Amino acid sequence: MVADAICIDGISKRFGRIQALQSVAFAVPAHSIFGLLGPNGAGKTTLFSIVANFLKADAGRVEVLETDARQASLLQGRLNILPQDAQFQRNVPILDQLVFFRELEGSSRAQARDEVRQTLKQVGLESYAKRRVGSLSHGMIKRLGIAQAFLGTPEVILLDEPTSGLDPANARQIRDLIKQLQARATIVVSSHNLAEIQELCDHVAILDHGKLVFAGSVDQINRADCEYQLTLSRALQPDEGQRITALDGIRQIKTAPAATTADAEGSCDYLVTFETAQDDRDLDASIAALLRALLDMEAVPRSLSRGRSLEKHFLEVTKSANHTENNPATPDNPPDTNTRP
Amino acid sequence: MSLRDFHMRHLRLVSAYWTRYAVRGGAGLVYLLLALFFGLMVAHLTLSPLEQKIRELSKTHGADEKQIVNELVETARPIVQWILDSKPQEDPAKPAPESYPTAGGGPMGPFTTSTPDAWTRYLLNERPALLSGIFLILLFGMPFIISVLGFNQTAGDIQSRGLRYLMLRTDRSNIYFGRFLGSVIFSTLVTAFLVATITLYVGLKFRIYSTGALTVWALIGFGAISILMLPYLAVCTAISASVSSPFLALAAAKLVIVGVPVAALVGKHSWEPIKNIKYLLPWGIQNYLLHPEWTHYLGAAAGCLGYTLVFLLLGYAWFQRRDL
Repeated sequence: MVADAICIDGISKRFGRIQALQSVAFAVPAHSIFGLLGPNGAGKTTLFSIVANFLKADAGRVEVLETDARQASLLQGRLNILPQDAQFQRNVPILDQLVFFRELEGSSRAQARDEVRQTLKQVGLESYAKRRVGSLSHGMIKRLGIAQAFLGTPEVILLDEPTSGLDPANARQIRDLIKQLQARATIVVSSHNLAEIQELCDHVAILDHGKLVFAGSVDQINRADCEYQLTLSRALQPDEGQRITALDGIRQIKTAPAATTADAEGSCDYLVTFETAQDDRDLDASIAALLRALLDMEAVPRSLSRGRSLEKHFLEVTKSANHTENNPATPDNPPDTNTRP
Repeated sequence: MSLRDFHMRHLRLVSAYWTRYAVRGGAGLVYLLLALFFGLMVAHLTLSPLEQKIRELSKTHGADEKQIVNELVETARPIVQWILDSKPQEDPAKPAPESYPTAGGGPMGPFTTSTPDAWTRYLLNERPALLSGIFLILLFGMPFIISVLGFNQTAGDIQSRGLRYLMLRTDRSNIYFGRFLGSVIFSTLVTAFLVATITLYVGLKFRIYSTGALTVWALIGFGAISILMLPYLAVCTAISASVSSPFLALAAAKLVIVGVPVAALVGKHSWEPIKNIKYLLPWGIQNYLLHPEWTHYLGAAAGCLGYTLVFLLLGYAWFQRRDL
């Protein structure tokens, strides 16, 4: 069994004057659910397309299951993809199109029909098998795309925004399917829904303006700097903040980035940093002291969770990349050292 | 392209799928209708004067169909000679030469005739003349129509990115050549239907040719048209694989197929050698697919296959490298 299902090494791609990807390199561990994140235009779809050999890279090399991605068709049935914005043939019945795909992957026609019906059932389209694609809604076509990506027994599945355009129930169904598939496949998901990526993925890579700004495990983000997210019923006064930082084992408390603070009910989000040298027992004591102090101040803790959210991390690293690009570091303009792990 | 990438099962699957859904895709349906309309219209225009004359004569003193056909054939002889690009005999009453045209290096190309009237005599006297006339017009006209079938082999799916569903399941070579093969099969089926319909009508309506003569000539005509469609389809395949817009592919295919003979025809008046531009496509050799000498027939067929191979490989070289 291979350790890394996908190895991306120094991939660059330029479209005219636009540098879509610049020396991107990371690996996707086998049997992981890997999230590919980035703002619009970061290069996620371009990277997917290069991995699947739809686009040719200007430089670098991609290996999928130890096969050069430029020979991706040799992987017949081992690598599947849900491409973004790719259209099915509108006038051909769903069943016929998917059966054709499975036949190309080596199934006999009868076997392919069974497999397709089973997969369509998984995505809730079994009763539409004989319908033409042109008669399906946007959400149904999305599910059809997912069905073709799940067809057969692929070892690597690339899903480009799999739940965009789906209603919450269907999105949940697809997320559950992805989790089930993890046992037998490596899945790479690109999405703008960071909560979804955090729920699904164990590893992520973040692209920004064609550059890789982070690659690692979600756990690594969660545990970074021994930070806790704290939601309080009200905002703390400056002197209250000072009293908290004076407690043993607490290094810092600061307001969470405004963009990620949900305060519809008047609650406020904080990031609390504990001393990293503490063992678990000391840490528990520090947390207990913190909670007691807050209750004494009548600032009721509504939630306390370990680590920063992926969303906060994403905003920090992409903001940092933009900040560095737009405001090069100078003696008068030092780089923001808090925004990268 | 390596042999490893070429997968016979995939080629068969892709071509069968492409043939099966050609009509549903739209382009196949339009081609089918246009080809049938054009073919049957040509047959109608060729046969209706004959039918009318027979009707007129039968009202008065009975009609000898064979004689009427012979009269019409004599009327059509100069036209056929012009189509074949050969010079008329000085004296029509003079008996026809014994030998058929042979290859030479004259101004008309590689198969220039040394006895220009013999080829016409072969088509109009030795073979069922009515079918010969129709086949000659079809050989001239069908290349203009074939682009309707061939232009959207890949361009539409490149634009809609639908090709991406296939590309992880089979190699680009199988998609490219499989779809070409599918188009060839569809075009051949349409040609077979068209030729069979026309032959059947001629056979039933005018009982002047034996069934054997009609069948043999129909098969030769069907073969000629089918072979001729290959290079033109290959041009369309190459163009379709090179651009990402079906409209642009159709316009380019039309422009190339129509533009080459028009440029040769118009350009030669200002500069004689420019007429050779017609050899960019099989325009200069295609009539030899109805030639009496089998060496000429084989030469023309081999030429068509050569054109096909060159166009296909040029298109494939680009298709293999390009972003899809």
